Amino acid sequence: MEKIISKQYTERVTGSGKINTMKLLTKTTVYFLLIMLPVFTAGAFYLYTKFNKEIKHETDEELVNDKLQWMRYLDSASVNNPVFSINTPEFNLQPTEKAAQSKHKLKGVSIYQEPENTYAPFRQLTQVITLNNKNYELVLRKSLIEKDDLIRNIVHVMLAAFGGLLAFVLLSNWLISKRIWKPFYRSLDQIQKLQLNKLEALVFERTATHEFNQLNAALGSMTSRIHQDYTSMKELTEDAAHEMQTPLAIAQSKLELLLQDDTLSESQQQSILTSYDELQRLSRLNHNLLLLAKIENQQFPVTEAPDLCKVVEKYLSLFEELIKEKELDIHTDMADTAPWPLHPALTDILVSNLLGNAIKYNYPQGKIRIKITTDTFSVTNTSQLPEIPANELFQRFKKHSSGYTNSNGLGLAIVKKMADSYHFHLSYQYQNGEHTFTTGA
Amino acid sequence: MKVLIIEDEPALRASIQEYLEHQGYVCELAADFPQAIDKVNEFDYDCIVADIGLPKGSGLDIVKELKFLEAKAGIIIISAKDSLEDKLKGLELGADDYLTKPFHLSELNARVNAILRRKNFEGNTTVSFYEITIKPASKTVLVHNKSITLTGKEYQLLLYFIANQHRVVTKSALAGHLWGDEYDQAGSYDFIYTHIKNLRKKMLEAGGEDYIKTVYGTGYRFG
Repeated sequence: MEKIISKQYTERVTGSGKINTMKLLTKTTVYFLLIMLPVFTAGAFYLYTKFNKEIKHETDEELVNDKLQWMRYLDSASVNNPVFSINTPEFNLQPTEKAAQSKHKLKGVSIYQEPENTYAPFRQLTQVITLNNKNYELVLRKSLIEKDDLIRNIVHVMLAAFGGLLAFVLLSNWLISKRIWKPFYRSLDQIQKLQLNKLEALVFERTATHEFNQLNAALGSMTSRIHQDYTSMKELTEDAAHEMQTPLAIAQSKLELLLQDDTLSESQQQSILTSYDELQRLSRLNHNLLLLAKIENQQFPVTEAPDLCKVVEKYLSLFEELIKEKELDIHTDMADTAPWPLHPALTDILVSNLLGNAIKYNYPQGKIRIKITTDTFSVTNTSQLPEIPANELFQRFKKHSSGYTNSNGLGLAIVKKMADSYHFHLSYQYQNGEHTFTTGA
Repeated sequence: MKVLIIEDEPALRASIQEYLEHQGYVCELAADFPQAIDKVNEFDYDCIVADIGLPKGSGLDIVKELKFLEAKAGIIIISAKDSLEDKLKGLELGADDYLTKPFHLSELNARVNAILRRKNFEGNTTVSFYEITIKPASKTVLVHNKSITLTGKEYQLLLYFIANQHRVVTKSALAGHLWGDEYDQAGSYDFIYTHIKNLRKKMLEAGGEDYIKTVYGTGYRFG
């Protein structure tokens, strides 16, 4: 039953369109990472601009410092009054006609680098200075080549931090799911394994999480309510069947005593006998309806696996007289053993119903073939009855023939109910006047 | 032979009493749990037929009480519930047999008979009916002190007939006794006739009377 419920549930969930399901924790992790990605990018950008600014500032300070050093040196060197003309990438001093400037100018420039055939970023300080009454243009440059390294480093650091965080989030999620979500998964597991007849024993433990306690309390009250309903239903069915058996027993006993009366006429006796037999039919019907309810309620726990071959042999010998009387030809093809995971009482009913039908609806000198493998059981019989329409096959009270008064139309319904409740398949084929019922795991 | 019938339904109690008394038993009656407890404490019975669902108590507790008293009475539980647990519990507590309602009075009688035979004489007894003598311990049947060979089913049939002598026994009761409750799965029980015919033939050949009377289309009467 639990399987059926979960199947229906899944169908309902997926019915409204394709939904990708993932674990709650995976989901939160994915969302967390999606949020963290732009944060990290912004952080990297911020760090980059900040560092960039700082480096520019530092370089500029150094340039100014260099300028002061150079000025001091040039001032002392100007005694001999030479005319300076120095041209290096880092230091450039050229005579100029431009007016002297009291303040230096700082800016970023790109300068061609021969060996690498690229432009490299430089900071440049320019100022027109006066040396020995001559104006010179002083250009000082400092390579900013570290900037590229800086960006690379920042990206590396950020990636490492992001990776570290990812690992940390995954690890902590795993730990959290191990610890915090544990009671949730335990409750889930309990509900999944739920069996109606064991509801009473279901106890949801108290946890240290408020929400889980609320959930467990709700589940607890729900299951106990279901259990109450289930028990009262079960009791009602059983009590009703029970209460019906008593008046049947009384009526039957009175009729049996009445049959002892010697003064009854033959027709009176016939009437009594008919009533007597009908009462028995009613009682069997009652019994079978109760059985159907019990199978549906899974009141037959699977605790062992009786050997189906032995059960079939038992019923073949039980029905020996009937088989002989109809001169039926029985052909069996059975595995050595066929353990069938079903309550022994149900295994008996399965075999006796299928075999009983095969005998009952057969014609004299007909055939019955029984085939048992380790996981399938099939009974094939000849019969004058036509193929059973698929829509009436396992319906309750659907009798497929007249003239078999001993049938109550529940035999196949019971087998079908068993198959549904205990998850084995049951199929029917009709070919060349032979009816075959096959069950199997 | 004294039998105590513990059954709360007056009509069913009366039916059982009537049938068993006709078969020669002395019957006492109890309608509820306290009455039953009083009676089993006060008197000795050979057999007790106890319903499980009683007013003011359970038939299973009467079984417990009888075991506590170390009574030698045979115990048959009758219950409206066809529940395997009840049956196993009853037998585990020490009941000798379990019968589900509704039952054939002839079947109840045959079971009472079998239990008394087992209990009182540890099986070393004979069942006699005029020239017929049955030794249940060895499952032999003598007619005029001459042994005849019966099949298992014919032997069961004869014992059942003798237990229910002079009574009309229906075919369904016979089928139920010989084949259990599953017989109805397979349809008719006309094949009983073959067994009856063979049994009758063997008895006649051994020089016995023909005691098996066919009662119209209803069933059979022995004796």
